[in-house]
Amino acid sequence: MKIIKDKVAKLSFVALLMSLTAAMFYTPTASAHGEKSQAAFMRMRTIHWFDLNWSKDTVAVNDTMTISGKFHVFAGWPETVDKPEVSFLNIGIPGPVFIRAGSWIGGQLVPRSVSLELGETYEFKVLLKARRPGDWHVHTMMNVQGGGPIIGPGKWVTVTGSMGSFVNNITTLTGETINLETYNLSNIYFWHAFWYALGLAWLAFWVKRPLFVPRHIAVSSGKADTLISAADKKVALGFAVATIAIVAGSMGTTNEKFPVTTPLQAGLLRGMQPIQMPESTVSVKVDDASYRVPGRAMQMTLTVTNNGDSAVRLGEFNTAGVRFLDPAVLQDETAYPDDLLAEEGLTVSDNSPLAPGETRTVEITASDAAWEVYRLADLIYDPDSRFAGLLFFFDAEGNRQMVMIDAPLIPSFI
Amino acid sequence: MSASQSAVRSRAEAVQVSRTFDWMILFTVFTAVLGGYHIHYMLTGGDWDFWTDWKDRRLWVTVAPIVSITFPAAVQACLWYRYRLPFGAVVSVLALMLGEWINRYLNFWGWTYFPVNFCFPSNLIPGAIVLDVVLMLSSSLTATAVIGGLAYGLLFYPGNWPIIAPLHVPVEYNGMMMTLADLQGYHYVRTGTPEYIRMVEKGTLRTFGKDVAPVSAFFSGFVSIIIYFLWHFFGRWFSKTDFVDSSNV
Ligand SMILES: [Cu+2]
Repeated sequence: MKIIKDKVAKLSFVALLMSLTAAMFYTPTASAHGEKSQAAFMRMRTIHWFDLNWSKDTVAVNDTMTISGKFHVFAGWPETVDKPEVSFLNIGIPGPVFIRAGSWIGGQLVPRSVSLELGETYEFKVLLKARRPGDWHVHTMMNVQGGGPIIGPGKWVTVTGSMGSFVNNITTLTGETINLETYNLSNIYFWHAFWYALGLAWLAFWVKRPLFVPRHIAVSSGKADTLISAADKKVALGFAVATIAIVAGSMGTTNEKFPVTTPLQAGLLRGMQPIQMPESTVSVKVDDASYRVPGRAMQMTLTVTNNGDSAVRLGEFNTAGVRFLDPAVLQDETAYPDDLLAEEGLTVSDNSPLAPGETRTVEITASDAAWEVYRLADLIYDPDSRFAGLLFFFDAEGNRQMVMIDAPLIPSFI
Repeated sequence: MSASQSAVRSRAEAVQVSRTFDWMILFTVFTAVLGGYHIHYMLTGGDWDFWTDWKDRRLWVTVAPIVSITFPAAVQACLWYRYRLPFGAVVSVLALMLGEWINRYLNFWGWTYFPVNFCFPSNLIPGAIVLDVVLMLSSSLTATAVIGGLAYGLLFYPGNWPIIAPLHVPVEYNGMMMTLADLQGYHYVRTGTPEYIRMVEKGTLRTFGKDVAPVSAFFSGFVSIIIYFLWHFFGRWFSKTDFVDSSNV
């Protein structure tokens, strides 16, 4: 007997472990640190984020901050990734440490998915309200159906205070103001406890009598019908009638209490307004481009023609959110994340102002540890070793012109 | 202890041992069903059950009963035909919901901080009680599948409505109208669940105007009937005690 008992106890223990494992099986994605593991071409050849600004470095619980900027939807979108016809402007944070109080593309609120056009540039803004204290890496992020999440640059933001004081007050169209953080909780607990108790009562009604062994013997010896009495049937009927009556009754009272309810709102938002970028008067041809693995530097030979009416200089090369600047032309004043900013990372063989009508071939080097740290150098192991990025030219007045470049990249290992 | 010796020596001891077995078997069934059913339900019902902004009048109403009538049907088959015990559906659903509550409370809320009022599980108990009662009163597979299965589908939406209705109150937010449930989905950022994978309010039932929930519930009930049959036979097969003749091994 003891052996059997031990065996059953062991089995029960295994089952208990199994069920606990199952319960722990799923946690919604909380991490947002996928940026470095995302294939380099995904970050370089899909969405180009620029002019980014995180309005605060430190924010107290219940206070808000914004992330704003622009993104360019690369015209040479890779074939291996679905086009951004159904996309969602998300935010890369580890779970709801902030709530997304608002998000806009071209001034239009985008709580739902949108359709984006290749080759267009859009302005965006995300309003975040701090909820949980801690240091959080806050990324821009675009989810593309069939393409997955495209993670943009991230910056560390500190949230101070305590989560217990977080409130999320909302005024409904029926004129009530509620705190969405705790709204409806007691109602949820009440009904779940109520139904669970009724289920347990039904179980207890049967479990209080001898169960498996004697009943199995009775069934095997053809006396199954004696196991259910007329009184049992009455109780069972009572349970069923009560269940249906409570469901119907509680549905009725709920409808009286909440006469105005609407279905969930869903559907694609089309017609996002892109920003009209001025036609660039600078044209750039990439003669060749190579990545020198030992030096962590990318070298390009560009032929630049200025078709405008003021002289320009190259100030910035931006790819995958990493900004290489020529400090003589451009300095960052937006407190851009350090690890993504190479303040002196851009060297141009001749960066004297390029006069209107002039054409010049220049050697450009973009070097920074970010190539390694952000695993952009892995690009050379991609099936289609092409890179893409944004070049920003400036005239003496500080007027900016954006030129997109897209060319094959040859690695050099010596 | 030799095999020929009886494990018990008196009737009182036999009763006691039998009772110990009851509790052990019940505990084992409960936890094993909890594990299997929970994984099954997460893989098939998943997001529809996780988030209030997925609990719509069309797909949630249709999917949840169909994928959740599975284990109740199988456990009923075992407990009823072998022991004449009519609590297979209720015990399965109680196990599932305990597992779900542990998961939602510890993982969704405790670990990731999604508010409980956004990620609570669906209520499956009313349908399970009726399913058990129909089986017990009819003692018929066909009647349980047809009447019980249909009732299981039909009771799902009204059984959950008192819990979710407050979240369907509309709100105007920055110039757009949405329900509080939609707003929860928007506010409480899920990086892994972008809005476009949300399958709600899609389908071809447009001709029924705004009364789509009953139509979806009927449809769900009909499919539940078929799934009930299928899983009933899984349960039968699983609870078979065939012995293999040792001389054939
Ligand atoms: Cu990060």
